Amino acid sequence: MTSTATVSWVSELAQEHLDAAYNLGRWLLGNEHDAADAVHDAFLRAARSAHTYAGGNARAWWLAIVRNSCLAALNARRREQPRAHVVADEPVDPGTTEASAQAAERGRLIEKHLSALPVEFREVVILREIEDLSYREIADVLAVPIGTVMSRLARGRAHLQKSLAASPEGR
Amino acid sequence: MDCNEAKRLIEPYLDGELDRAEARALEAHVDGCAECQAVLTQLGQLRHAVRTEAPRYTAPASLRERIREARVEQPARRIAPRRVPAWWRLAAACFFAFIAGSVVTLTWHPGAGRDQVVNDLFASHWRALAANSPVDVVSSDRHTVRPWFAGKLPQAPLVRDFAEQGFPLVGGRIDYAGAQRVPVLVYRHDKHLIDVYLLPESTPAVSSAHREGYSLVWGTLDDQPTAIVSDLDGAELARFKALLDAAR
Repeated sequence: MTSTATVSWVSELAQEHLDAAYNLGRWLLGNEHDAADAVHDAFLRAARSAHTYAGGNARAWWLAIVRNSCLAALNARRREQPRAHVVADEPVDPGTTEASAQAAERGRLIEKHLSALPVEFREVVILREIEDLSYREIADVLAVPIGTVMSRLARGRAHLQKSLAASPEGR
Repeated sequence: MDCNEAKRLIEPYLDGELDRAEARALEAHVDGCAECQAVLTQLGQLRHAVRTEAPRYTAPASLRERIREARVEQPARRIAPRRVPAWWRLAAACFFAFIAGSVVTLTWHPGAGRDQVVNDLFASHWRALAANSPVDVVSSDRHTVRPWFAGKLPQAPLVRDFAEQGFPLVGGRIDYAGAQRVPVLVYRHDKHLIDVYLLPESTPAVSSAHREGYSLVWGTLDDQPTAIVSDLDGAELARFKALLDAAR
């Protein structure tokens, strides 16, 4: 095995699905800096553990590593600063026309409630709705049965519906 | 269909995970049930809101740069692996053989990729056997399976059922054989599962192969190259291949 070939394969894979990886990291960790670090860390892990790839869905394999790297970052954060409040990036202001202001407002609302979901529900909703992964692919990323994916997705959506309905801006 | 079952199916329906027959049955129920209709509408709205309004963050250029420029140090020696299934080790070994043997791209190469195609197909078959269900769309009706593929692939494959000859169609899935997404038709014969991989025309034809009690033979379905992978015995597999080759 030539290690350079492995690394270049992983590098191509990571670059091809970099937005998916970063988006997942950004939603799990809440800010750009931590998300970028987690994805970079995931890339190093992937390059070193390419031997665990046994064929199959390479994107799911890569996203599984990204997810593990994010969860490790979350755990480290909890250990180091059990009470600290994580600084979340300010939402980007896309423009000032009335229509786009309304859209931005709705986006912020969804973002706020989605970010408040417990991680185990948030990740399945992100992978399904934003990354458009199938149940089977999500099951591969999370290393859980498809039935678990379905029940977490259902509970995540129910949580989200409830919190949106209860929020004063949501009405 | 009662409301309990309908409510259980509403999310898979919106997520595109039901086959056509199930989807039709659910639609029929929802048409006549205001309560389930409300559930469907609300979930549909939520889904639409998340999909259109939640931001998808794109990777900053600096991160892209970091990945492109990254230098990875290889560990000198790996610690002996934990107990892993034999097929997993085999698949990993095959993967490394491929890496060593060719310039890595995400397509199959005729010639250089021959053995790799075989390895990928065995790996895919074993992976499917290890999964909860070897099929994504469960149906013995070819008129259900083909449209399911049509929604997911540029070209839907020809689907034939051989129930009368003792090989009923179980369903289909889309699987990765290497980096290639290919349609797979799944048949059953007694307790044996048979995967039929419909391969791109450019796939190099090679002789049949045997691994750990499983066989792979090459055939055609309506002139498209196929690989048949199963643990059927040789005679039965040959009979199935003949059926497949003759199907139009």
